[in-house]
Amino acid sequence: MADFSPELLAKVKDLWKRYPEKKAALLPAMHLIQKERGGWFSPETIRDTAELFQVSDIHVQGIVGFYDMFHDEPVGRHVVRLCKTLSCKLRGSDELRAHVKKTYGVDHGQTTPDGAFTFRCFECLGHCTTAPMMLVDEERHENLTVEKLDRVLGGLR
Amino acid sequence: MIRETRVMLEFAEDEAQKTLAGYRKHGGYQALAKALREMKPEDVTEEVLKSGLRGRGGAGFPTGKKWKFVPKTNKRKYIAVNADESEPGTCKDRQIMENDPHQLIEGTLLAAYAIGAGTAYIYVRGEYPHSIRALEDALDEAREAGLVGGDIMGSGFHCDVWVHPGAGAYICGEETALLTSLEGNRGYPRLRPPFPAVEGLWKSPTVVNNVETLACVTHILRRGASWFSSLGCEGSTGTRLFCISGHVKKPGVYELECGKFTLRELLTDLAGGTPSGRPIKGVLPGGSSMPVFAASDLDVRFDLDSISKAGSSLGSGAIMVFDESVSAVDVALNISEFYSHESCGQCTPCREGSDWVRLMLDAVRRREATRKDVGLLLDVLDRIEGNTICALAEAFCWPVRSFVKKFGDEFEAYLKERASA
Repeated sequence: MADFSPELLAKVKDLWKRYPEKKAALLPAMHLIQKERGGWFSPETIRDTAELFQVSDIHVQGIVGFYDMFHDEPVGRHVVRLCKTLSCKLRGSDELRAHVKKTYGVDHGQTTPDGAFTFRCFECLGHCTTAPMMLVDEERHENLTVEKLDRVLGGLR
Repeated sequence: MIRETRVMLEFAEDEAQKTLAGYRKHGGYQALAKALREMKPEDVTEEVLKSGLRGRGGAGFPTGKKWKFVPKTNKRKYIAVNADESEPGTCKDRQIMENDPHQLIEGTLLAAYAIGAGTAYIYVRGEYPHSIRALEDALDEAREAGLVGGDIMGSGFHCDVWVHPGAGAYICGEETALLTSLEGNRGYPRLRPPFPAVEGLWKSPTVVNNVETLACVTHILRRGASWFSSLGCEGSTGTRLFCISGHVKKPGVYELECGKFTLRELLTDLAGGTPSGRPIKGVLPGGSSMPVFAASDLDVRFDLDSISKAGSSLGSGAIMVFDESVSAVDVALNISEFYSHESCGQCTPCREGSDWVRLMLDAVRRREATRKDVGLLLDVLDRIEGNTICALAEAFCWPVRSFVKKFGDEFEAYLKERASA
């Protein structure tokens, strides 16, 4: 068995009890696995996940490629997701993206040289009435301004 | 003055409402107790049918009717709660899950009792960690109190409820894609028939209902179908959550009775008009998948059927407003970028077509398109629509076509012929 931590294996076994087929627990389990393996799915992690779930490597790879929250490349210590869809655009997300590029030197999909964060422009994050907004890992920041964004991103280490 | 009628959001600002004790203080789980003790499963369905409740995810299908499609078999049955709220402009289900999660759990259990399901999954989009945590906490409490799991309230009725996180894919809000995803795959939609009510999760009968729909079920069973249908208007009974965003002074999620005012009144009176004072240029009344209204279309009565008759739809209850400072071409391009990113890739007309449409709109925006190119764009839309497994194709064809139609002069002004003239 691939060397996942005993805590993770216990959680996955618990997830399996919820479904008639193990495979159904892939998405919830893959969130846990990605977290334990440094925020992304390396070819080795894909193989380990496939082995754990007794599915093919390509099945796991297909899932990683399909869902935006799974990464197939290394990411920074934090993942910043700036919403770019209409309500946020109307409230200034294009300007925020330009500011991030100018100030932190990263655009969509790029990681800052110090590895502090990976920046991603995301489709609708569902906070349209408090736009513009971004998610930093699992925390949300709403009604963003350039100043607010700088306070959050400047504090990421 | 338009006023809110708060039913689902009545206690949304009360921190204690998130806890079982707080929820119970306001009548929580009494509807479930009544149903389990005094009603047969089919009585629950009848009550929901009588209330006139229509699904709140976008299609507006009568909920009771959906439940009645479930065949009477001994097969396992499932409830799948669609909490993959991803239609641009929509952030209403989140209010229920984060602020009053037990009303969703109670509605889910009532639905499960009505159709005889022993397991329910709440498929929450992965980008909603706050909703996931709030639901997990509420479910832990409910399980502890014997409200979820085996022999609920000593009735002999058994139903497990689990939160299932998605991982970032708009298509999984499409009900058959949600099921494919829940089974541990890429979220590809399935051909219908068979409909999920007959053949859903693991080929068993499955009812897929939206979060707000199930929250309504709780209130219908608590206060009765006739109380519910006395709110709103014919065809749009009850209250409904609307997310007003974009260029308005007071963006927000409002709980409203339909049929009492016009769309223009809603935007000027309740939402306060545009912050800049500039006139409204356009409104998407039901998410980005629906045809756009121009400023001259806004005097339509605000209810499901009237908005449909006027050529659009209330969709998921997301109203996005843009003022005269914005280019209609830019808005259409932003919408097409969304769909070309979110097309699942299963059907060629949608996978390729969504990219073509985006590229053609980008050419318009760069002033490199000719009149012939706009004609080609419309022709391509005709060839995409109706030729795919699910409605994602229509979801970008309708708005794009409506932008070209409603803002034709503006598109014209972008044309290469004009630029070089």
